[in-house]
Amino acid sequence: MENFKRKHDYEGLLVVIEGTDGSGKSTQLELLKRYMQDMSYGVMVSEWKTSRLIAKVIDEAKERNLLNASTYSLLYAADFADRLENQIIPALKSGFIVLLDRYYYTALARDVVRGQDIEWVKNLYEFAPEPDLVFYLDMPVDVLLKRIIGTTGLDFYESGRDVGFSTDFYKSFEIYQNRCLEEYNRMKSEYGFISIDGTKTVEEIHDEMKKHVQEILDTGILD
Amino acid sequence: MSNLTEKHDLKGTLICVEGIDGSGKSTQLALLRDWLKSIGQDVIFTEWNSSMLISQTTKLAKKKNLLSPRTFSLLHAVDFADRLKQVIEPALKAGFIVLADRYAYTAFARDVARGVDRQWVRKVYDFAIKPDLAVYFDIKPETAMNRICSNRAPKFYEAGMDLKLSNDPYESYLIFQSRVIKEYQSMVEEFGLVKLDADDSIHSKQVAIRTLLREILKEKGIEV
Repeated sequence: MENFKRKHDYEGLLVVIEGTDGSGKSTQLELLKRYMQDMSYGVMVSEWKTSRLIAKVIDEAKERNLLNASTYSLLYAADFADRLENQIIPALKSGFIVLLDRYYYTALARDVVRGQDIEWVKNLYEFAPEPDLVFYLDMPVDVLLKRIIGTTGLDFYESGRDVGFSTDFYKSFEIYQNRCLEEYNRMKSEYGFISIDGTKTVEEIHDEMKKHVQEILDTGILD
Repeated sequence: MSNLTEKHDLKGTLICVEGIDGSGKSTQLALLRDWLKSIGQDVIFTEWNSSMLISQTTKLAKKKNLLSPRTFSLLHAVDFADRLKQVIEPALKAGFIVLADRYAYTAFARDVARGVDRQWVRKVYDFAIKPDLAVYFDIKPETAMNRICSNRAPKFYEAGMDLKLSNDPYESYLIFQSRVIKEYQSMVEEFGLVKLDADDSIHSKQVAIRTLLREILKEKGIEV
């Protein structure tokens, strides 16, 4: 990693954790954040769908089943654009490590499964800088299903019920998440994901992420 | 390629009017609507930034000047996509004449004038249905300013004050709207917009529009 090259021109480091719902992203994000903070780096965390104004619109629209495939894609892109321009890029410019829970790969997977043209979706996110590291938590669908049913329960959109695969919640979730996984698998090599087996223990996964982050930090890129 | 360059094959007819505020497009569309209704045609009217889903949020964000041109562009696209899928497309399938006060071309003109990439915004809207008739009302920015600002100063966004072109709202308005008009003019050829002179009388513009519409309806086997 001596010749580590940034994929953007900003001073900071852009690190993304991707994976489907229930793959353990938030837990790992928290651990990684603490690890970096303990070494005195400036860390900023930003999660998917958390912009001012727009995130609320998405939640309300979902609650009332108001979204179609086009408005779904565009609203998420607007949410992302706002966070990118107001939080992520300013933080990168001032040399922060920006840790993101999901990035535009999430949109690519979900929107394509909803029948949108992939080139159209890519254009919506064309302004997004390429991350320095993308960790992908790889989880088989049957494990995911158990995790989600055991925690939050099945949600209408997370089960892809709006796409109309099946009126049976369980069946719909299975088809939808499988399709999303296919999209993620396709993106692995295209975007150079560091794929980690999500069924490993929390510590094992964290150690693997730490190793990759440390390699970059050891080049002195943020010093 | 884009749906905006290919003729649709739906039963209904889609008409839109374009131009900067003060160009008289809404007046012309209202006259057209009343006439079509009076002769028994099924008409539906839809206007820019009016969807239940997002229009209030966009207005609030504007009031607080919170968002970047690109985010605004995406929010207007949300509004448009919502109306297209819930109102315009179903009405066209059912055979209505759909009258749209502003269409995707408004985004192409305004967003590009705000610095958004020309090709990017065209791709964002490439799900839009090509109108059967798109009329553009060409006006000089000075004339429009005299019409809409006879008893008030130009508003923040219509003057493009967010772009910091000038501290004087009147001067900023003229610079910004000139840019918008330039984009519209280049779309006359690009998208086949029918250009009408906003300085012409209300009557002569309405006669011109009805003549164009009659031709289009005739092709669909409707005599009016």
